[in-house]
Parts: sequence; structure tokens; C-alpha cells
Amino acid sequence: MKRLFLIISILLVSLFVFSEEVITLNLIEAFSSPWRTPTLNKIIEMFETLNPGIKINVISPPYETAYQKINLMVSTEQPLDIVEIGDWNLSTLAAMGKLEDLTPYINNWPEKNDLIDGVLEAASIYKNTPYLLPHGIFVKTLFYRPDILSKYGFKNYPKTMQEMYDMAKKLTESGKNQYGFDFRGKGYPTAFIDIVVTSFFDDIDPNNMYLTKDGKLIFDDPRAIEGLNFYVSLFKDTAPKDSVNWGWDEQVNAFVSGITPLLFQDPDTTGMLNEMLKPGQYKTAPLPVGVSGKAYPTFGFVGWGIPTYSKHKDLAWKFIKFVSSSEINGYWSKSYGALPILKSVYKYDSYFSSNIFEGWTEMFKDPKHYQFTQYPLDNENWGKWNEFQEKTMQQVLLGKLSVVRCLKQWSDFWKDAGIK
Amino acid sequence: MKQRKFIILMLLPTILLISFIILYPTISGVLLSFKNYSIFNFGKVKWVGFENYKEIFSDVFYIDIVWNTIKWIFFSVFFQLIFGFILALLMKEPFKGRGLYAGFVFYPWAISGFAIGLIWSWLLNGQFGVINDILLRIGFIKEGFNFLSDPSLAMFSVILVNVWYGIPFFAIMILAALQSIPDSLYEAAEIDGAGYFTKLFKITIPYIKPTLINTILLRIIWVMNFPDVIYGMTRGGPAGSTEILSVKMINTVFYESNYSKAAAHGVIIVTVLVLYTIMYLKLTSKKEFSL
Repeated sequence: MKRLFLIISILLVSLFVFSEEVITLNLIEAFSSPWRTPTLNKIIEMFETLNPGIKINVISPPYETAYQKINLMVSTEQPLDIVEIGDWNLSTLAAMGKLEDLTPYINNWPEKNDLIDGVLEAASIYKNTPYLLPHGIFVKTLFYRPDILSKYGFKNYPKTMQEMYDMAKKLTESGKNQYGFDFRGKGYPTAFIDIVVTSFFDDIDPNNMYLTKDGKLIFDDPRAIEGLNFYVSLFKDTAPKDSVNWGWDEQVNAFVSGITPLLFQDPDTTGMLNEMLKPGQYKTAPLPVGVSGKAYPTFGFVGWGIPTYSKHKDLAWKFIKFVSSSEINGYWSKSYGALPILKSVYKYDSYFSSNIFEGWTEMFKDPKHYQFTQYPLDNENWGKWNEFQEKTMQQVLLGKLSVVRCLKQWSDFWKDAGIK
Repeated sequence: MKQRKFIILMLLPTILLISFIILYPTISGVLLSFKNYSIFNFGKVKWVGFENYKEIFSDVFYIDIVWNTIKWIFFSVFFQLIFGFILALLMKEPFKGRGLYAGFVFYPWAISGFAIGLIWSWLLNGQFGVINDILLRIGFIKEGFNFLSDPSLAMFSVILVNVWYGIPFFAIMILAALQSIPDSLYEAAEIDGAGYFTKLFKITIPYIKPTLINTILLRIIWVMNFPDVIYGMTRGGPAGSTEILSVKMINTVFYESNYSKAAAHGVIIVTVLVLYTIMYLKLTSKKEFSL
């Protein structure tokens, strides 16, 4: 008995002496999905294999309530080391003063110079400080179906808004359930409206989509009337009436079934389209430019940040650095559908230089016609704006509100919100 | 006195439990509605008095929302009651396969309201919806209906789905009440020469009246607090034509992330319901009625 006790004691002591301390980092993601979360878990597995002393505990709140959960957890300083931040909640988190300024980390990061131009600037919207390192970029581009377009005698995609309207009108044969433009009526139609309306301008402030360079609200400008009238025509003449009630699901469904072969969307749509359509059945093209010869896409982004109260900031950065490395960022973007943040990924992986990505590639290398512009995301009326704009826009589309009165309401909204 | 103390002591755990799970969240919700707790100022929450209420009542769309809520409640409950009653009458008499039939009829009640909303939003889709497809194939229509995007049809569509969803509840409640009516009453009436409608209006309805009153009362409260179907189908659109108070409350959280304003919406809904309940009970109070 004594001998057994001695052996157990020796074993326990040696276990204690030789075992390495394992540190667990808590990571919370904002965009959990059946496609994305398993990819994240695979990357974490790789990281843990390479770093045996570190474990990552993933918290995946439901997509719909993730921002609320993240904001609450960070504001109440619950144990978190890596936080996923989207462009729409960055200012909220940063304003709390609970996010670490990543400048020193990024400055010492060898792959910094490989970042896509403008990404870090876009991610520094709050006090010009990078409180996160983006891991994916979202920019809307034109998706089109060459197979449907060719049936109507079109060999190429439309290059201007007017060309797109004319093409979409020719494609529209409601009797055959064939329409042109894949309209978005509900579920944050903001970007869709603004892409069209701002294309009538040539002097949009790159720091605020709703201001001209001389600081005037675009909704007070006669060009906005032209732009919004054009948007209404696009709906009335080229889109199914039902699309007033369409969100992302319906848009993708209509595009896949060929009912509406012209669609503005983000790169995460490619994941689903690759599964549902044959290669070559869809392509992307730069957004059509407006009468001004310009288009104003916005950089949407999502990235990783570190809470100021984390006890393992360096290890958290080690993970962020790993996820942002060229190989992992390529793998991540391909599985997830976002655009990679590093230039080298576009070179080494032919997938990102295929015609699926032509739209974005062309826009990135043409700053003369494509000016990437920011939304006033740090304004606390931003959320209210999305609901208000959606509702009033639907009223216009349904003939319950005139374009002029609608623009007056939009202008008043932003004046009340402090943008003049 | 001793007995009184004993009763209080025995009730104490229940009182504490109810206070914890009902009173605390209610009071905390009411207090929240007088603050400025939103996603933008977690760090600087303060009392703002009636600001949230003022903002709600000055919303240009608020009258429409109230009117939509009234339409939503009235038509939903009215048709649920009528069809639920008919269904219960049909199922009162035993017949072969009644169990299976009952299971089939009652199954909508087992599905989540939000899931129903999503399913029906696809069924009623103007472009790919099965309903339009069937109507077109049988030649009933020449062009598909825009059920959810035409404001004049959208409210009708969400009410239709809510009626479909709520019929089983009425049917279950009424069927249970019908089965408690003694057969001897009908036998006596038949001896006196009473016809079907005389029996229905003189025996059946008066006998199950307390159940009907209770069910209507409960159902109105539930329907008013039931945004699931609308949220799944239209999110309150198009142009706010299906937005009811409870949907507006959700939109306030999801779009604005303004928890205090959403709480104020909640307080308004609860106040309206409490007033309604008092009024309803006063109007319907009879000797045989008890809640």
C-alpha cells in the first residue's frame, strides 16, 4: 500500500513539474454561419497544432444578435481576448475605449506592406486609429449571367448606368417571368440606393457618402432627384414588382433561376453561386458608372480586434497575425467569400484572378472612375437611418411618396443627425 | 392569527419566485424606458425622463402602426374564432380516423411562428411562390399576385397566415368546452323539437361562453404580442404597411439598437393591454364568468 502511494505521488509530482501551462484565449465571432464557423475552427486547429501552449475557445452567438452580445460582453469586460468587429459596430466599440490600438502591432508586422491599398485607412474610421485588422473586405460589384444576356443578343456587360437600364429593359418580359435588374427592397437596401444615386455626382466626399466635397448634403442637390428618379425607373421598368419585398435570399434566388440576370452584390455571394451555378454561368464586372463617369462603392470590412483588458494581448496578436498571413487569408476568403486583404493572395491563388473576381479587380485598379467612399458609420443615427431609408424608399416605389418629398425627408433626417 | 402566519409562510416562496421572474424584469423594463440605454452609449447611461416616449409619439408613422395593429388583431382573432369554432363542431362527434385528422389539423400550432413566417414568405412569393404557381396552372389568374409587396395585399396575406396558425388554438379550447356539455341537454331540447341552430344558440354557445370569453381575451393579448409571422414574412413592409407595435419594437432593437426606446414601446403595449383587459372583463363580467 505504501509502495502504491509512493508511485502515485511520484507520478503526480512529475505531471505537475513537466506539464506545460496551457493558456486559453477567448474569441468571439460576429458572423457565425454553417459555412464559415467550421472554416474558422479548422484554422484554429492549425494554430493550436503549431502553438501547443495555446488553446482558443470560440464563442459563436447567433448571427442576428451577435453585435449586441459582443458589445455587451466588451462593455462589461467579460473575458475576451480576440473580438470580431464589423464596420457597423467598430465606432461603438472603439468609443467605449475598450479596444486596443493595434498600431504598434501592425507597424511591426512584416506583411503590412502587402495590405490592399485603402483597407487600413477604411478600418481606421474612428479617430484615425486601427482598432482592428480586417480579415475580409466587402465591396459591391455587378454580377451578371452571360448565358441569359446572350439569349437577348448582348455580348458584354453594361458599363454605364444608362446602358444597364437599357439592357435590363430589353431583358424584361414579364409575361415570360423574365426581368432585368435584381432589385433589393428590404433588409438594408441602403447601399443599393446610394450606388445608383451617387453615380449622378462627380464630387462626393470620400469621407462621407452623403456629402459633396464642398460639405453640402447630397439630398439637397438636384442631381439627387435625377438619381432617385432613375432608381425608381429601374424598379418600375426592369424589376419584378415583388422585389419591393426582396432581401438577399430572394435576390440570390432570382439570379440563380435566371429571372433577373443583373445583380449588385458583395463577394460573399460567390460562395453560394459557385455551388448553385456551373462555372462560367455567372461573371462579375465593375459597377456601372453614372452620368458623371464615376461610381462610389463603399469598403465594407470585418476584422479582429483585441480588448484593452485582455491579459494575453501578445498571444491574441499572434493569432490575428496567423489568420492574416497570406496562406490563411487566402484559404479563409475562398471558403467564406470575402475579398482577401493581401495583394499577394490575388497573385498566388488563380481563383482570385479568375473572371469571377474581374469586377473587383477592375475597380481596384481604376481610381479615376471608382472612388471608395465611407458611410457616416460613427453617427448614432446610422441604424435608425437604415430603417427610415428603407421605409421611405418603399413608399416612393409604391407611389405613396414623391421623390422630391422623400429627398426632403432624407435631408432633414441628416440635418437633425448633425451632418450639414 | 397562527393560521394566517402559516399561510403567509407557505405562500412566501411562491411570492418570492414570482417577484423574481415577473416583477423584477417588469420593473427593470419600465425603468429602462426612462433611460438612454442604446448601443452608442453603454458607458454614459442616464435618465432622460419621457424623451423616448416623446420620440415614439412624434414618429410620423406611429398612427399607421397603431391602425395596422388594430386591423391585425381584429381580423386575425375574428377569423380564428369562426374557423376554430367550425372545426371544433366538426370534430365533436367521433368518426373513424378522428385522432389522425386532429393531429393533421392541429400541427400548425406546433411550429415556431418565425419559421411559419419564413415558409409562407416563400409560398406567397410573387415570382417563385407555389400559391401563385397553382393559381396560374388552374387558370384562376393570368398574372401572379404580389402578395407581400403590394401594400393592399400584404396585410391580408400576413393575417391569412396568422389565421391559419391560430385556428387550432381556438379549435382545441372550444372542442374541450364542447365535450363538457351534457348530452342530456341536447336530448331534452330535441324532445322539445329544437332544430340545429336553436340548439347551437340556446345551448352550445351559452354553455361554452366562459371558455369563449377567456380564449378571445387571451388570444387578443397573444396576437398583439405576436410579431413572429410578420417579421418572417415582411419585417413590417412594404412601406410599413404590415408594421404593428410589436414589430416596431423589434425593429427598434435590430435597426437602432436602442434598448430604452424598445422598452418604451414595450411599456406602451403593456399599458394598452392592461387597460383593454380591465375594460373587456368589465364588459363581459357575468355571474357565470370567472377568469
